[in-house]
Amino acid sequence: MPDAAHIVIDRVSHEYRPARRRPVLALDDVSLAVGEREFLALLGPSGCGKSTLLYLVGGFLPVEQGAIRVEGRAVDGPGPDRGIVFQHFALFPWKTVMQNVLYGLEKKGLPREERLRVAREFIELVGLAGFEDSYPAQLSGGMKQRAAIARTLAIDPSILLMDEPFGALDAQTRSLMQAELLRIWQRSRKTVIFVTHDVQEAVFLAERIAVMSARPGHIKEIVEARFDRANPELLRSRQFVEMVDHVWNLVRGEAILAERSGAA
Amino acid sequence: MSEIETRFLAPPAATGIRLDLTGAVTRRAGAIVPLLAVIVAWEAASRSGIVTPFLLPPISAVLGRVWEDAISGELALNLGQTLFRSLAGFAIAGAGGVALGILMARRRWVRWFFDPIVSVGFPMPKIAFLPIFMLWLGLYDVSKISMAVFNAIFPVITATIAAAEGVDRPLLWSARSLGASERQLLREIILPAALPQILTGLQVALPISMIVMIVTEMMMGGQGLGGAMIAASRFADSPGVFAGIVEIAVAGLCLVKGIALLRGRLLAWHQETQEPTTV
Amino acid sequence: MTSETVRVTSGTGIANRIPAVVPRYLPLLLLALGWEALTRTGLVPTSALPPLDTVARAWYELASSGDLWTNGVASMTRGAAGLGLAIAGGSLIGILMAWYKPVRAAVNPIVQFFYPMPKSALIPVMVLWLGFGDASKVVLIFVGCLLPVTLAAFNGARGTDEVLIWSARSLGASRARVLWEIVLPSALPEMLSGIRTALALSFVLLVSSELIVARQGFGYMIGWLGDGGAYDAMFAVVLTVALLGFAADRLYLMLVRRILAWRE
Ligand SMILES: Nc1ncnc2c1ncn2[C@@H]1O[C@H](COP(=O)(O)OP(=O)(O)OP(=O)(O)O)[C@@H](O)[C@H]1O
Ligand SMILES: [Mg+2]
Repeated sequence: MPDAAHIVIDRVSHEYRPARRRPVLALDDVSLAVGEREFLALLGPSGCGKSTLLYLVGGFLPVEQGAIRVEGRAVDGPGPDRGIVFQHFALFPWKTVMQNVLYGLEKKGLPREERLRVAREFIELVGLAGFEDSYPAQLSGGMKQRAAIARTLAIDPSILLMDEPFGALDAQTRSLMQAELLRIWQRSRKTVIFVTHDVQEAVFLAERIAVMSARPGHIKEIVEARFDRANPELLRSRQFVEMVDHVWNLVRGEAILAERSGAA
Repeated sequence: MSEIETRFLAPPAATGIRLDLTGAVTRRAGAIVPLLAVIVAWEAASRSGIVTPFLLPPISAVLGRVWEDAISGELALNLGQTLFRSLAGFAIAGAGGVALGILMARRRWVRWFFDPIVSVGFPMPKIAFLPIFMLWLGLYDVSKISMAVFNAIFPVITATIAAAEGVDRPLLWSARSLGASERQLLREIILPAALPQILTGLQVALPISMIVMIVTEMMMGGQGLGGAMIAASRFADSPGVFAGIVEIAVAGLCLVKGIALLRGRLLAWHQETQEPTTV
Repeated sequence: MTSETVRVTSGTGIANRIPAVVPRYLPLLLLALGWEALTRTGLVPTSALPPLDTVARAWYELASSGDLWTNGVASMTRGAAGLGLAIAGGSLIGILMAWYKPVRAAVNPIVQFFYPMPKSALIPVMVLWLGFGDASKVVLIFVGCLLPVTLAAFNGARGTDEVLIWSARSLGASRARVLWEIVLPSALPEMLSGIRTALALSFVLLVSSELIVARQGFGYMIGWLGDGGAYDAMFAVVLTVALLGFAADRLYLMLVRRILAWRE
């Protein structure tokens, strides 16, 4: 139902043209619709253009071929309606964790008290209480990632673009954060595009999984994965395991292709 | 050397995405336009009488003067003297600075003795010692070149120490365990690995040597562009002063570009291409 | 065997232990003692190298007569004014060059052309334009220091991580805000190192121009004391200037460490 879609990606291609080097076709004819309040995972081999696709939706890169519409309007530049968690965190190194999280809240024009309250709430949520006054350089990779997540969640965007947001976390923190993300999503019903390498994570979190091909990336297959996530036995259930297996096979083929073309 | 000092000396890493995306070719062609605009504005300003020709002689007159100097042989003489002395000073400072820097990095005694001297001497305005040099060494080449060496050697030393200390320890150990002598170690491992930073130090030293040479020539008189310019200014000969500026600016540009080119040649294998911030 | 291990761990003998025992600045003291010994023993005529204690006495006289103070204040005011203007102007121009293409296209060739010019060549022009007074020194230092600061600010700003800019934009910052809140702090480390270069240069230009043409200031004092044969007093002023330059640099480094505390 294209009408209900929150984000429409319509035959988008993207080519990087770095100075003094050959152009790189990163995305080739990608079409995808993400429904209102849908949780979509984007899965694909390294270098297939997942980040590029998020940057295009985020409005950081110009859409030169095809069209991207958010709530029916063509994307034209970044905006706080689309919160993004970058793969490499992109924390402001000269600001403390607290100041980083406050940044977007200030731009929203919240009153001071309210800003502090919200910032504390999200810092606590990602388990960084006690590190409010640390600078990013003093944090571990996983802590930086959580700070970046808190910063984005705090501004309460209607769309969440997450680029391997749990990539730097240890297994335990990761599953805690996954649960927390699901809780936030279920409570505030945001539209989420979630990039990951982890098939099980994708199947666990997302309602639909878009599997991308090796570079130049296009959507190879879209898999529905609607489970009852409240079920504590879900991860061991037969359907879940089969689904993981199915998606994993899809991805594996592409990863091998990507490796071959990389080696060539 | 404190850590922050050495960090400051290191050439800035070329990290992050450059916002500058114009191609090199268009940049070259486009670069002429603003320079032409400056020249035209200069000529127009003095011809139209906005400023008196005494304060700003028309560039045509200045270039005419440069031409006259060239014909009469003045230019070759003065420019030659200035370049000879500043390059001699630069060369001595370069060789001495690298040698001392390596020694300081490799020999504890040398390090112990020179470290405080270098770290105090590096940031000092050594130009203030000029009258002392005149007192000791007179008004001729020896004293002028010594002054240039004294000023230009410090950045070379600090860069060399930082570079030699920055050489990967395991690299040294493995070379040693393969039986390399101290001399081989120096020639085959330390110097090549330290080269980028040493060149940065030299790139800082070259303009210092020229700046100091101009000042010493202005102070001591005699041949050379500095002396010629100060004489022109005493006689209120403003085309002479501006001709001197043009000559020295072009010479400086050529030397600085030359050393940058040399760096590019020597460091073809090296990633960074950004030039250090010099004076 | 045991002694062997001890020797290995404690380095190669006495040479290693000395730096730890002897205060760091002892070599400077040794130099001073050598100076005193040379002059006391008559190896060097006192007309060429006045003994250190007479230099100290001369310094005390200059200081108590107020000469050192008035000339020093004159010099430092000139230096501070010129350098302050250069820092303000250079930072502004450099950052605008990085941010606005037309500014870059117009200004960069001019900067690149004039940057390598030996700045001391400007001294006679300043005399022509502004005479022997304060203005010629202030403008000389301003013009001389402008380009190092400009270029450092330009390089620093141009090296801004694009993702940080995107990050700020998606948190709701306007383009103008991004310039102030992201590009400027990103440029800061390189700018500060350019300013250190400019600080050193400002001392050089100040003293040179005062030596060559002035009626006041440290350089002027050095000149007339030397001409009058008062070498002990001349040495006193030379050392004062040198130590001031050194102290300024150390203070500046302390300040920088403060400002860049977030990099630790
Ligand atoms: N700024 C750039 N300039 C040139 N090529 C680029 C640029 N950014 C990305 N690319 C290329 O575009 C392709 C897609 O990059 P992208 O970062 O979108 O991949 P990805 O799917 O996010 O990979 P990963 O899973 O490793 O993060 C890659 O082959 C990459 O080399
Ligand atoms: Mg990516």
